[in-house]
Amino acid sequence: MSWRILRALSTATAIFLLTQPALAHDQAGVPGGLLSGLLHPVTGVDHLIAMVAVGIWGAQLGPPAIWVLPITFPIVMAIGGVLGVLRIPLPMPEMVIAMSALVLGLAVASRLRLPFSAAAAIVGVFAVFHGHAHGAELPGSANPLAYGVGFVTATGLLHLCGIGIGSLTRWPAGERVIQALGAGIAGLGCYFLAQGLGAIA
Amino acid sequence: MTAIRYLRLALILLAALIQPSLLRAHEAAMGVLEFREVRPGAFIGRWTMEPTIGPERVDLRVPSHCLLRLPEMNCGQKGLVGPITITNLGSNMSVVLLKVIPITGEARSYTISTANPVVSILGAGAPTLETWLELAKTYVNYGIDHILLGADHLLFVLGLIWIVGGGWRLVKTITAFTIGHSASLAAAAFGLIGVPERPLNACIALSIAFVGVEIVKQQRGEIGITARYPWAVAFTFGLVHGIGFAGALAGLGLERRLLPAALLFFNVGVEIGQLAFVLLVLALIWAHRRLDAVVPRWGAALPAYAIGSVSMFWFFGRLARVFAAI
Amino acid sequence: MTSKFGHLWILAAALFVQTSAAEAHIVAARLGDFYAGALHPLTDLRDIVLWTATGVLAGALGAPKGRWLIPVFPLGLLVGLSLGRIFGAASTQLADATMMLALGMLLAAAARIPTFLLCAIAFAIAVMRGAANGADLGPDTDRLLFAAGLACAGYGAITLTMALTTAFKRTKSDSSASWRTIAVRALGGWIASIGLMMAGLALAS
Repeated sequence: MSWRILRALSTATAIFLLTQPALAHDQAGVPGGLLSGLLHPVTGVDHLIAMVAVGIWGAQLGPPAIWVLPITFPIVMAIGGVLGVLRIPLPMPEMVIAMSALVLGLAVASRLRLPFSAAAAIVGVFAVFHGHAHGAELPGSANPLAYGVGFVTATGLLHLCGIGIGSLTRWPAGERVIQALGAGIAGLGCYFLAQGLGAIA
Repeated sequence: MTAIRYLRLALILLAALIQPSLLRAHEAAMGVLEFREVRPGAFIGRWTMEPTIGPERVDLRVPSHCLLRLPEMNCGQKGLVGPITITNLGSNMSVVLLKVIPITGEARSYTISTANPVVSILGAGAPTLETWLELAKTYVNYGIDHILLGADHLLFVLGLIWIVGGGWRLVKTITAFTIGHSASLAAAAFGLIGVPERPLNACIALSIAFVGVEIVKQQRGEIGITARYPWAVAFTFGLVHGIGFAGALAGLGLERRLLPAALLFFNVGVEIGQLAFVLLVLALIWAHRRLDAVVPRWGAALPAYAIGSVSMFWFFGRLARVFAAI
Repeated sequence: MTSKFGHLWILAAALFVQTSAAEAHIVAARLGDFYAGALHPLTDLRDIVLWTATGVLAGALGAPKGRWLIPVFPLGLLVGLSLGRIFGAASTQLADATMMLALGMLLAAAARIPTFLLCAIAFAIAVMRGAANGADLGPDTDRLLFAAGLACAGYGAITLTMALTTAFKRTKSDSSASWRTIAVRALGGWIASIGLMMAGLALAS
């Protein structure tokens, strides 16, 4: 099963890589928008690790989290994105995003088993903040639609990565690796949090 | 029975609506511009075949050291070397053939197309690698354009796919068609065979009608000649269609020594276009099977009649032109 | 065997789309108005997203419902193209975004909507996009050829997307927890979120 997912994933990535230079010749704005949208979640390490952590945690929690997550997360994130587009400020966005990496990393490392609704609420709040950060960039983009497509796709693929990594839990050794990874993510979250606090102080 | 007659009438009317515009698209406008050197560095330029939009509207750019004031062009000491560009090639003008006839040495031809709006005039000397690449790019593209705009060729291929179905038989049939039209294209381009264009076009239309009839036969349970020996039919009509392709090349008046290469590249382009079309049709057939969306029983004969009606309409139109020419 | 072919077709379709998108403008100028109409939608991301979403939704609902779109969608495009002449270039940004959101939500929720509603939605989208595609036509464009090209593109895109979706989902062994079903629903989530943000943007500006 998992190697099939892997294959589908690699196909999707290959298609993306192939499509990109092709679209680059196309109408002005689309390549820039798509590229910046794709890269925005990937280049911001704080976003990247949080998204992967969400995927891993979902896989650890098992059904229904593992399948509710990829379906609803983008939509909740988009709500945050709309807030960002409308320039409605959220309190301390940088801090909460750093916090999200820390909390999710800890959850993965400690194999925290929360009831589904509680886990969904936590992930939902963080999703809104992440979406807000992406959405704020949207109106300034060369082609907003291309940017939106790019960043939703990138986020989805990061989740998929996380779920793929999370499926290692079936083996005891894999479980250890994931916990170590969770600890690493929590550590990075700590670092970003400290950085944010340092900037404030 | 009357219902079918009405249907046929409707289809013919439909074909009449579609046909003129398709035909216009197929006979893409071409212009031929000739530069004849009258003394070293000085040329007289004239349109030997005027583009449909009118020669005065063509935005021609010559190398910066040349002074162009048609019909005269003066390039001074350096001679005609460098890029020549036509910037406003569009849907009304697809190809311009440029002939440069120097005082000494052989005449040269260059093709300017939308895909390839700049040609580099290389001056006298042997063809270089750049010349070959330029040639390849131009003629592969020209071949693709030609097949994609040739509604009659595509309709014939569609008919073949309809009769033969998918799989190994189709590969053999399409290969036979390819061999057939490549052979006759080469023969016609080298002047080994010469067939007047108008009757030939009528024959091409008739070949499509033949395929339409074969589809109807097959649907009635008779095993026609196409169903039995598809490659033989494909090869034979491939020969006819190939001469038609050659007609497109003939107007370009290429240098004799570049002709084999140009022919090869043109043919490669035609195959690329044809393969893309076949793959698209197969993909759509697969999709229809997958969705279980096949033509209902009462309409099963419709595609065959459509193919037949369109091709017969073409046939009569082209036949009329044959007689008009006489 | 089917799965292998499915993969092949997915790859072929992807490759086809990517080359065409790059060449669309060149090809349109080179090959005349039929191909201009057929390739014009590929130059607009809104068309790509909405057409794909419609096809995937119809495919996810299964062949018996989805196959009605084979005639409905191209017909809608033609209607839209002829209406576009009357209404001119009205901005459809908000309507496009709402449609994306609606399609995405239906797909994500795996709602079993009736055939009539599916056809109505697809027709509405086709009319909108047909009008948008016809909005920037030059006066020397042959509208009949352009319309034929657009309708052919709509037919091909919808039919192929639907078939690919049903092939991917393997409707016969349909269970709500299979990862294939979830993948399709997740795609719906992505489309809905894009639509939501675009709607926000349209309202903001």
